[in-house]
Amino acid sequence: MTGGSVSSTSSASTPALRSQLSGSPRSSPAAPAAVEAIAVSRSFGPRRALDDVSLAVDGGRIEALLGPNGAGKTTLVRVLTGLVKPDAGAARVLGVDTWDCPRELRARMGLVPSGDRSLYLRISGLENLIFFGRLHGMSKSEAVARAWELLELVDLTDAARLRSGFYSHGMQKRLSIARALLTDPSVLLIDEATHDLDPEAAARMRELVRGLADKGAAVVWATQRIEEIRGFADGVTLLREGQAAFQGTVSQLIAVAAPRRYVLRLGNGRAAGHELEALLRAAVGGGTTIAAADDGDPDDFVLHLAEDTVLGSALAALAAGGIEILGCREEVSEIENAYLNLARGEE
Amino acid sequence: MTTLAGELRKLPAFVRRDFLVAWSYRLPFVTDWIGLAFQALMFYFVGLMVDPSKLPTFGGEPTTYLAFAAVGIAISAFMTLALGRVSVGIQQEQLAGTLESLLMTPTSPATVQLGAVVYDLIYIPIRTAVFLVVIALAFGIDFYASGLIPALVVLVVFIPFVWGLGVASAGATLTFRRGSGIVGIAMTVLVLFSGAYYPLDLLPNWIATLAELNPITIAVDGMREPLLGGTGWDGVGRAVTILLPLAAVSLALGAVAFRAALRRERRQGTLGLY
Repeated sequence: MTGGSVSSTSSASTPALRSQLSGSPRSSPAAPAAVEAIAVSRSFGPRRALDDVSLAVDGGRIEALLGPNGAGKTTLVRVLTGLVKPDAGAARVLGVDTWDCPRELRARMGLVPSGDRSLYLRISGLENLIFFGRLHGMSKSEAVARAWELLELVDLTDAARLRSGFYSHGMQKRLSIARALLTDPSVLLIDEATHDLDPEAAARMRELVRGLADKGAAVVWATQRIEEIRGFADGVTLLREGQAAFQGTVSQLIAVAAPRRYVLRLGNGRAAGHELEALLRAAVGGGTTIAAADDGDPDDFVLHLAEDTVLGSALAALAAGGIEILGCREEVSEIENAYLNLARGEE
Repeated sequence: MTTLAGELRKLPAFVRRDFLVAWSYRLPFVTDWIGLAFQALMFYFVGLMVDPSKLPTFGGEPTTYLAFAAVGIAISAFMTLALGRVSVGIQQEQLAGTLESLLMTPTSPATVQLGAVVYDLIYIPIRTAVFLVVIALAFGIDFYASGLIPALVVLVVFIPFVWGLGVASAGATLTFRRGSGIVGIAMTVLVLFSGAYYPLDLLPNWIATLAELNPITIAVDGMREPLLGGTGWDGVGRAVTILLPLAAVSLALGAVAFRAALRRERRQGTLGLY
């Protein structure tokens, strides 16, 4: 477990809060992380949705909250927003307890909730943004100007006057992001922003959020799309049944569950037949096996490495035996492998 | 004070949002007015059967059944609509999934609650006034023009009373999800024993005595006196004196109940659920 630093600062008093809220997050080494969950637990009836989960995200970083359905991601996001009270522990944003969630703090937080029911579907995207802008205290002209600015940012200018109920899921998500950005928040909490988007729209969404993080926002990105976190998230918290099963970087996540199964495409594997396995056994030991893949292609074989065998040795042994290796790939992606192992509780 | 002013400045945004939503549903908007016209027509024909001498006098002047009932219809329709809308205003946000988004803005729960109904609180009194004017012109009812402003004052004082009840009911709806049945029963009982559609002396004595304390009775009589009896401001004082403290109590209880319900929902994490 390699969670980020966890601060033990208490709730800020009003002057301290104002000072914290007016400054940039983490302006000094002693300052708390922009987003903190400290030993948070929360139950709904007999079900424990979160169990002693801690998390710290600094400004400029994206923390992926990973986990299967029911792992506790949405509950953690809701605790971080102050919409749900933890049974134990505390959630702080910019050093302030979110359960007390003063208005100044809400202006510094942006939430993109899961689902697409958080917008007024009978009015246009433009009117949605103007309405929420005014609730953030903007004058009408400020709200209108900001709304157009954001619609352009999320590429919805052409659909600005269209009822948001007519928007596609991707467009509604982009509008939801635009709403979260109304006040240029220091903290963004994004819950399942891409789960029903096509790959292009999802990539666009990640690009947008990455840009915001690069400008200094702390981002919590809850997702179950494991493939999207590589090259995007700076840190990962993997939740399993309400507990943090892993915390660290994406590389560390991959490292804790290195893949052991590869699909090899062999030029003359059929000719070698059952001799393949003997060849391997002689070179790298008995634990490593190779067998025809069940994908229907006679040239594909699945190589299952023993714990003490590295891929290079196995491939070298095959090559030395005259086997022509045309291709080699993980049977499932390394990151997916790590996710599945951790989510199932295997390490 | 700055915070209060800031919160009040948000209300026009709610009005605009709800006007746009209402405008997007043009048919219910039109059918509401058609329904009201048919209701007035029905009371016109019922009025033809009623002997005006059986009706009470206002300012010593006799009246017709339609004139008598018109004020009752206006107030009871106002009460039904306003109470109904206030009590479900937050529920609708919950159902639409927008409540949490609203609460994520730096807006106080009281503003969110008021904002959910402010459009109706403006629209429904206008609808009531338009109804009275149209029915007077269509059926030749002689309302005293001098009574319009005093009657409007009674209506304005009656609004916070209804609003307070609606807010308390909204709190109950937030907690129990299906609270509209209780509101419906309470409204029916209040209207039934208010003298809105028939004189109170038709009721058994003890019920009639109790009904005199019914806030709807007080509002209806407070509007009938200036409109039908031409008593000007004379009949309004009593109504305002009784309705104002009732409105204050109703608003205070409503605010406490709603805040408690909202806090409970947040604590339980069920705010977004319906």
